[in-house]
Parts: sequence; structure tokens; C-alpha cells
Amino acid sequence: MKINGVAIEDTFAEAFTMRVARIVITGRNLKWAREAALKLTGFATSVIGCKVEAGIERELAPAETPDGRPGLSVLFLTMDKESLPQQLVVRLGQTVLTCATTACFDGLPDAPDRLTVGKALRVFGDGFQASKVIGGKRYWRIPVMEGEFLVEETFGMQKGVGGGNFLILAEDADHALEAAEAAVDAMTNQPGVILPFPGGVVRSGSKVGSKRYKSMIATTNDAFSPTLRAVTASQVPDGVNSVLEIVLDGTDGPSIEAAMRVGIRAACRPGVRSISAGNYGGKLGPHHFHLRRIMSNGP
Amino acid sequence: MSDVVTLVLTQAPDHALVANCILPDHFAALSAQEIASLPVTHGGRAARLGDFFKVSGERSASVRLEGNLEKVEGIGAGMAGGELAIDGSVGRDLGLAMAGGRIDVRGGAGDNAGGARPGAAKGMSGGEIIVRGSVGDDAATRMRRGLLVVMGDAGRGAGRGMIAGTVVLFGKAGPGAARFLKRGSIVSLGKLERPATFRYACTYRPPHVALLFRHLRAHAGVPVNDRHLAGRYERYSGDFAELGKGEILQWVGE
Repeated sequence: MKINGVAIEDTFAEAFTMRVARIVITGRNLKWAREAALKLTGFATSVIGCKVEAGIERELAPAETPDGRPGLSVLFLTMDKESLPQQLVVRLGQTVLTCATTACFDGLPDAPDRLTVGKALRVFGDGFQASKVIGGKRYWRIPVMEGEFLVEETFGMQKGVGGGNFLILAEDADHALEAAEAAVDAMTNQPGVILPFPGGVVRSGSKVGSKRYKSMIATTNDAFSPTLRAVTASQVPDGVNSVLEIVLDGTDGPSIEAAMRVGIRAACRPGVRSISAGNYGGKLGPHHFHLRRIMSNGP
Repeated sequence: MSDVVTLVLTQAPDHALVANCILPDHFAALSAQEIASLPVTHGGRAARLGDFFKVSGERSASVRLEGNLEKVEGIGAGMAGGELAIDGSVGRDLGLAMAGGRIDVRGGAGDNAGGARPGAAKGMSGGEIIVRGSVGDDAATRMRRGLLVVMGDAGRGAGRGMIAGTVVLFGKAGPGAARFLKRGSIVSLGKLERPATFRYACTYRPPHVALLFRHLRAHAGVPVNDRHLAGRYERYSGDFAELGKGEILQWVGE
């Protein structure tokens, strides 16, 4: 299978079930909502080292937010139920509560699992906080020097998917980066999906464990590292000199598939030889995103 | 089961008609005949709801009332859920000690709307009451939780002794409003004579007021002006004759 002359490998991305929350951050304008969202999602590329994966899902128009101000939705994912509220409390408390003009709302109101994040944050008010029930939901008003920080009492948690991916195998690093940037542009603002790595792109894809260091749980993906072609069981084809990976997390499989479809299509451009994906033989993750099936379906 | 139970006043009461049996959450399990058989008191004498109202529909928690109901008292008293839409003005004790659901009055209401039973420590403990006209005295007395919106004026003592909850007054408030407020909020868009036991805190744009007004616009069709939604409010803390954890939010401009 080829798209614009770029080979789509007959392989699949293998992804895992995670727990996800959606946070809606609003601000006086988009600048301040983004300031908070960027701090909130900082150092949240991979659960391997950060314990959480997070990113901006999309911009929200004033009509889409509870308080009618511009905002952003952010997805937060962890491997287990317990660490998601812990991460949210710590991070929201240090990044959104502190950020001028912002307010913070739940973006998964129908999720039955509720995390009492706002309830935990309320104690910053030192007893001066107050709650309001509006439309059946409780909000906490936490007095701060600026005025008041408003945060919803509970946030929904549901099962999500982490680790969707595809690899861009290109003739050189410049073409790999151009293709990756095009893919990220196409996938930006796709509902239900985040790209948790810097600029949405990963240059250091990893394999499980280490050939040499027992303490390492993940090390470089030598099979796709062009400089190691001659010294390892390389999967880098002839003519390929740079590989970049796009990692996708999301609320559900179909959302990730939809984003992969537009991202891969955008990445198929001159200088790219093929599109592949990372997997573990299908034995570790329950979600398998077959590239050719994805690219054969949909618009 | 029908979409809505409609009660149309066919026999105007000569005296006060206490109809605290009009409860959408109860109507959800009753046939039209059972609803018509519910007991009321007319001038202190026992009667049936069907003696005054024509009932159509059954087994629905969505209820509509039509007619001149100014002598009908206790509508929705103790209501715990459902929706009650009223075309016209009603008498006293509307939503007395209400616990849940929504009452929307396209008219005015008498004394003690969303208030407390005599001698009770707390009044309304949940739900929403929207009165498109004015209310009498003692609205939202000893409210523990919930929301009362008055788009007209309020009589004396609105929000007296509130324990928590929210009262929104679009018009002016009579004397004694907010007196002995423990917690809770009175959002005043008109003129309100503050008790001397409240202290000025600051002038700001309270984020929860914007959220509340957007909710009222979207889910109750309350026509809130942008200047109120995004406006500046003076915050007065009080009542310091009580806990002092309540507030009057007085709109002062855009």
C-alpha cells in the first residue's frame, strides 16, 4: 500500500489501556488559559519517567466552556486509577490555581468514576473557601490574592488508550521533521487525542528493558536507530537515514484511529520512504492499530 | 404515563386554598384520578384537588399549572424533584422547605416563597425556584441550600437567616434583606438596603456569578443581561451579628 508514493508498512501500533481525565481550563483570554495548560502539561511526556502523560487536546470557543470564556481542554492519562487524582491535585494546585484569571472545570461530566480533585484543592482556602451548587454540580470558590479561583469539585475518569503511534522513515532528518510537523499540524485539535511529546514528535523511541543495564526499564529503540544499522538487528530500510515517531494518547480507540488517519496522510510527502509503527508483537497491549486498515477506511 | 401533568384551575377559590399536595415527584407515580383525589384545604375545610382543578395527564414528574392561583398556597411545599411550571401568580409558601427539582413561576409569588416551616431550623434545602415576577415577605428564609431567583422585587426580609444557598434579586429588596445571614450569597442587581452588620470587602467580577447566570440563561431561559453576567460586584461580608461567612454581591456596573 502506498500513499503519495510512501509505503505504508503492513504492521500495527500496539497501545495500552490507561485512565484518562479531561480538564477544561478557561481564562480571561486564550493566552492565560494556554499559559496554565502549558505549565500543567509540562514534563508529562511518558509514564515511564513522568508518571503521567498529558497534553492540550484542543482550543475551546467561549460557547463551549462552562463560564463562556476562551479555554483549552487537556487530557491527562495514567496507568492506574490511584495515581490520576494524585497527579491532578498536585499539578492543578501548582499550575492552574496559581495562574492569573483561570478557572478549571471537568470535561468528562458523564464519566461515573469521580475524582474529588476540587474538593482536595479547596483546603488552600484555609477555611475561607466556599462552595456553590450550580446546575447540580458543586464548585469551590477559593479566595486568592487576585480574587477567586473557581474549580469544579469532581472530575470524571474513564478508560482511555495510551501509546498509539506511527513512525516516519525518511531519507534524511530534514524531511523526517517536515513530515512530522505536517502530521502534527493535521492532528492538532482532533477531539479525544493528545500528542504528549515535545511538539508532538518523539526522536527517541524506546524498546522495553535493556540489553546491558538491568535497572533500565526502557532504552533506545536500536532497531530503528539509523546509526546502529550495521551493529544491530536493524529495521531501518536502505535509503532511510532518520526516523521520527508520533505518539498518540486518547479517550478511545476510534479517536486515535481518526487522528492517525489524518496524521499519516499528512506525513506522506516527498522525502519520506515509509510509515511504520511500534509494537511488542501484540502480546502486551490490547489495542492494535493496523496501519493499512486505518488508511483504507474513513474519508 | 404522559409527558406532562396539567392542572387547570376551573373553580376559583373563595378563600385560601392550601394545595401542598401539588408535588411533581409524587405525581410521577399517580394516575389522573389519584391526583384529583389528593386532599387540599379550602378556607380551613377539607376538599379535593379535583374540586378546583381539571387534571389532564398522569404519572409524570413534569407538571404545569394554569389559572389565577393567587389564593393557592403551599404549591411545591417539600418538593424533592421534578419540574413545576406555573402560568400565573401564586399565593404564599411556594416551594416551602423544598429539597429538589425546579419551580418556574411566570408571575409573582406571595410571602415565604422558598421559605421555612414555622419554627423549623432550616428552610429550603435544595432545588431551584425562579419567580419571573415579584415575591412577598420572607423569601428564602433560613435557606440551607438551593437557589431562589426573583426577577421582580422582593418584600421584607428576603434571605433572612440563610444558612447557605443563593438568592438572586433582579429588582429591589425590601427592608431587612440578608439579616442574620450565616453563610450563603445574595446577589443583588437592584437596590438593597444592607444591614449595618455587613462589611465591604472588594469590588470584583465573581466567577461563580457568571457561571450561575449562564446556567440560568441556558437551562431556565432567564434573560440575564451581559452587563450583569460579566459585571463588577461589590462584595459585602456578613452578617457579623451571626457567623459572618455570608455575602451580599451588589452589582455596580459593567
